[in-house]
Amino acid sequence: MSKEHIAENTLEESSQHNEHGGDPIKELLNGLGDHHDLTVFNHVIAPLPIILYDDGGLHFYSSVHSMEETGDYTMEHHHIVKKSDHSSPDLNLSITNLVFFEVVAAIFLIFIMSKVAGKYKKNPMKAPSGLQNIVESFVTFVRDDIVRANIPRRETADRLTPYFLSIFFFIYVANMIGMIPGGHTPTGNFSVTLALAITAFFVINYTAIKDEGIGHYLAHLTAGTHWSLWILIIPIEIMGMFIKPGVLAIRLFANMTAGHIIMFALIGVIFLYKTVIAGIPITAFVLFIYLIELLVAFLQAFIFTMLTSIFVGLNLSHGESH
Amino acid sequence: MENLGMLSAGLGAGLAVIGAGLGIGKLAAAALEAAGRQPEAASSLQTMMIIAAALIEGVAFFGLFICFKMAG
Repeated sequence: MSKEHIAENTLEESSQHNEHGGDPIKELLNGLGDHHDLTVFNHVIAPLPIILYDDGGLHFYSSVHSMEETGDYTMEHHHIVKKSDHSSPDLNLSITNLVFFEVVAAIFLIFIMSKVAGKYKKNPMKAPSGLQNIVESFVTFVRDDIVRANIPRRETADRLTPYFLSIFFFIYVANMIGMIPGGHTPTGNFSVTLALAITAFFVINYTAIKDEGIGHYLAHLTAGTHWSLWILIIPIEIMGMFIKPGVLAIRLFANMTAGHIIMFALIGVIFLYKTVIAGIPITAFVLFIYLIELLVAFLQAFIFTMLTSIFVGLNLSHGESH
Repeated sequence: MENLGMLSAGLGAGLAVIGAGLGIGKLAAAALEAAGRQPEAASSLQTMMIIAAALIEGVAFFGLFICFKMAG
């Protein structure tokens, strides 16, 4: 499996330059982060382009190698810095391996969904068969148990269902990409999950403003308390408006990274002992954790979508309970 | 000083996991008891139990994340 190669490389690197004891952990976390080339089983199979936006200009490099040779930038401790004054570029827009796997997830989803949708368009009255069964069961699950259960008005729920379906399937496929050997989890990076949470933030607030009007939306900030408490309640509610999607991002990112870190660390223990007798129970344990991670991949996609729909439903009028 | 950071990271991770384990244990006990009282509600109880478990685990992961920052 790829994890053994990465763990072995990590231990060798850390034992080579071991200034202080924190190095294996840093190398481990760097191994899980994004790299500027595609690595499969610790062999670089393809360099990925580097795109930097610095001092108002875009710089394109086709690989790390060409950047080191020709440009003014160099790699220092896995960060790109300018050769002249060791400052980081303003924006690093490179296509890293995580971006590559996000695009792979998107293309995979587009392929599957268009195939299934085509089958429905051709024969709407035919009973579903094959791939349609799985996709239809997931879609109905999201639509009925997640969206329609939490958003009271039917037309708002139907308008938002494509968004929730996209979020659920994208997070699920992105999580599962990390489970196949050679794949890196895109959602294991805080920036990716923060971007997803920002879309959730916009959906939550824009839906409330569009359906209720700004006045009613601001009235929700007071949470129905006495006017003397408003000076306390309103800042807390405003903070909650930002913290809730932020917590969604952290939860998804931490769940995805923690499983991988545990598996790497356990396989590293085998290299610590260097015997076969240690290898067998540890491998069984790692397999057990791998199966749990498969469940966690689905669960975290479900939780992200469910919590977003609950937040949307909270901001809309509850019908008769207000 | 780095050793102090790693020691505290280990302690912190253990405490975070204790909190999560206790919380989810109580949750599972309550859910199972409610399912025992009313088996028809078992499926909706299951959904709510999983949501609550993921939320409690999320809090434990916040602590774990800070421990990683301390250790590395």
